[in-house]
Amino acid sequence: MAPDRYSSQNRYSRQSRVAGIGELGQTKLSNSTVLIVGCGALGTHLADTLARAGVGTLHLVDRDIVEWSNLQRQVLFTEQDAAQELPKAIAARDRLLAINSSIKVIGHTADCSADFLANLPDRPDLVLDGTDNFPTRYLINDWCRQQGIPWIYAGAVGTEGASMVVTKDSACLRCLWPTAPAQSDVGNCETTGIIAPAIAAVTAFQSAEALKLLIGQTPTKGVFTCDVFRGNYSVLPVADRPAEDCVVCAGGTYPALTNEPAQAVTLCGRDAIQIDPPDRPPIDLEALAQQLKDSVEGLARTQHLLRFEVDGCRFTVFPGGRALLFGVHDPLRARALYDRWLA
Amino acid sequence: MIYFDHAATSYPKPNGVAAAVQHWYQNVGVSADRGEGPRTREAASVVQRVRQGIAKMTGHTAERVACNSGATEGLNLALRALLLPGDRVLTTPFEHSSVVRPLLALRDERNLQLDVPTAGASDGATDDALCQAIASQRPKVVVFSHASNVTGAIFDAERICKVAREHDTIAVVDASQTAGYLSLDFGADVVIASGHKAMHGPPGIGFVSVRTGLEMAPQKHGGTGSSAALERHPTQWPQAFEAGTPNTPAIFGLAAAMDWLAEQGEAKLLQQSLQRLAEIEAGLKNLNGFRVFAPGTATRMPVLSFVHANYDPLEIGSVLAANEIHARAGFHCAPWIHEHLNTAASGTVRIAPGPETSHSDVEALLSVLATL
Repeated sequence: MAPDRYSSQNRYSRQSRVAGIGELGQTKLSNSTVLIVGCGALGTHLADTLARAGVGTLHLVDRDIVEWSNLQRQVLFTEQDAAQELPKAIAARDRLLAINSSIKVIGHTADCSADFLANLPDRPDLVLDGTDNFPTRYLINDWCRQQGIPWIYAGAVGTEGASMVVTKDSACLRCLWPTAPAQSDVGNCETTGIIAPAIAAVTAFQSAEALKLLIGQTPTKGVFTCDVFRGNYSVLPVADRPAEDCVVCAGGTYPALTNEPAQAVTLCGRDAIQIDPPDRPPIDLEALAQQLKDSVEGLARTQHLLRFEVDGCRFTVFPGGRALLFGVHDPLRARALYDRWLA
Repeated sequence: MIYFDHAATSYPKPNGVAAAVQHWYQNVGVSADRGEGPRTREAASVVQRVRQGIAKMTGHTAERVACNSGATEGLNLALRALLLPGDRVLTTPFEHSSVVRPLLALRDERNLQLDVPTAGASDGATDDALCQAIASQRPKVVVFSHASNVTGAIFDAERICKVAREHDTIAVVDASQTAGYLSLDFGADVVIASGHKAMHGPPGIGFVSVRTGLEMAPQKHGGTGSSAALERHPTQWPQAFEAGTPNTPAIFGLAAAMDWLAEQGEAKLLQQSLQRLAEIEAGLKNLNGFRVFAPGTATRMPVLSFVHANYDPLEIGSVLAANEIHARAGFHCAPWIHEHLNTAASGTVRIAPGPETSHSDVEALLSVLATL
């Protein structure tokens, strides 16, 4: 009998032919569950690759909507998605199911919080970092450590990127960096910019490591770094075992799981949301103004506050870290904008 | 924290209030009409004392005072009981959501004719328009607040109730802003208030006081302690309007608060609060960029609103909060009045001092506002 052109053997024939994967590896992929945190540039590249590769169950989580400025690098989205302001997790899910209807894709429009992770319907075999901020990465780190689940860190900004596999035997994110670097030190896509090849390079490393982990191969040790304009691609060695003073690996505590999340409160009768993060260090409004001056409109500073407009939202930021976001009604959207511009 | 939100709830409460609540938890634990013995009798006597005190305020009788969870419950009860399908009802643009929302829901549910005379609203009061409308429309019910929780304007309840009486209209007055400061004996058919504002009681307790002879059907049916063998909800006052286990600890707290009010004197407390309000208003006059909403009259409640030329009210609320000053920014649950104040886009900042507010509190407030 002629092979069915729509069979899974045919679909994955080129992949399973690769040495080390085989039919067995392909079966392992189809029996795997992966959580991708963030459906931005990293997340959509990762999801696209893993869905095409036949990973059986993908959970996607993102709280934000598709915007016009996403289309340059976020591969799953279309102009129509942006025009309709669709939630990213939903637009990505629909696109992925159109690419591969034989897998399960669950889109969650939500904050990736400790509460969200605790209530995931499936236990993932692997978690992939597609986020744009360190608080969420530390949350992924602490939760995965607590649960004994491997995860793969990744980040990209400008023309550069980095990625690293974290397994139960390796150093964790906190072993290497006990506290998160200031966002202003690492830059972000809003102020520094980002090009798609940097994303492609980082997620090539990240998704290859993901496939290896899922089929049971040993992951690459060290931190992958690249600068796609300089043509630099390397894996830097880092400590390959847990640090003795790591609060997670040695101390057995999971600080990010008990952090109180910032409250987003819809303000009485107004198209405005207040975000008042607990325990955040004060914001230097002057420094923030300097940092934002080329990226936002209507920047104005008074003794008490800093105002600016960006992404269709008017921000008022106070030195204590509290912010009012005018023109936004959805608390999830407000928190996404807050983290994007003020994290 | 420096507290300027007395129009929402008074703070701090007199010492006796927490003590009375604690006394109930430690030494009483039971409700009136539930059981026999000295504890039940003590609960019954405190409840009775509260009813009598409220009746003295409203000019009604103690049997016709029902204690419930607050003004919202009272207003829902009175409006639901009094307004039947097709009835005509009048109100004012100054009303709180606890009047506006039940009225709009009832209008849809029972096809009411609802009118809101607005002439005079932007000048601070709609008494004339309301009285004229009562005379010309002879509505079944007129419901109005004794004072605005946004501007502090006091409405002439005595005059409005008199006109209502002359035209067989039932007058329902929301006295939430004035109970504890002013006499509520102005001839209303129904007076409703919450106990946690100027009355200085705990949250979760309020009252409905109804004149003898006005018939009202209970709107909430359930256990009453008495008449327990009856299958149907009883109709006699006040139990008919107090279905469910009462909030007896809050009633104990309110009783203590009313003792304190009597000891201090309501007029003196109001005068103290108004003194602070006058200081605030005078201070604002010396600052640039502020537009104040307050009646130009001597009789007023200790609350005012303002907006600033360069700051959104929410921004000012945040600036005050950062300086540990608790005031309010927004619409103050009064959805209609902002159209008349030209503040529909952003609302106002509301400052409401109380008898506990000190001169240095006012200075702290003004010193922050001066930096805007």
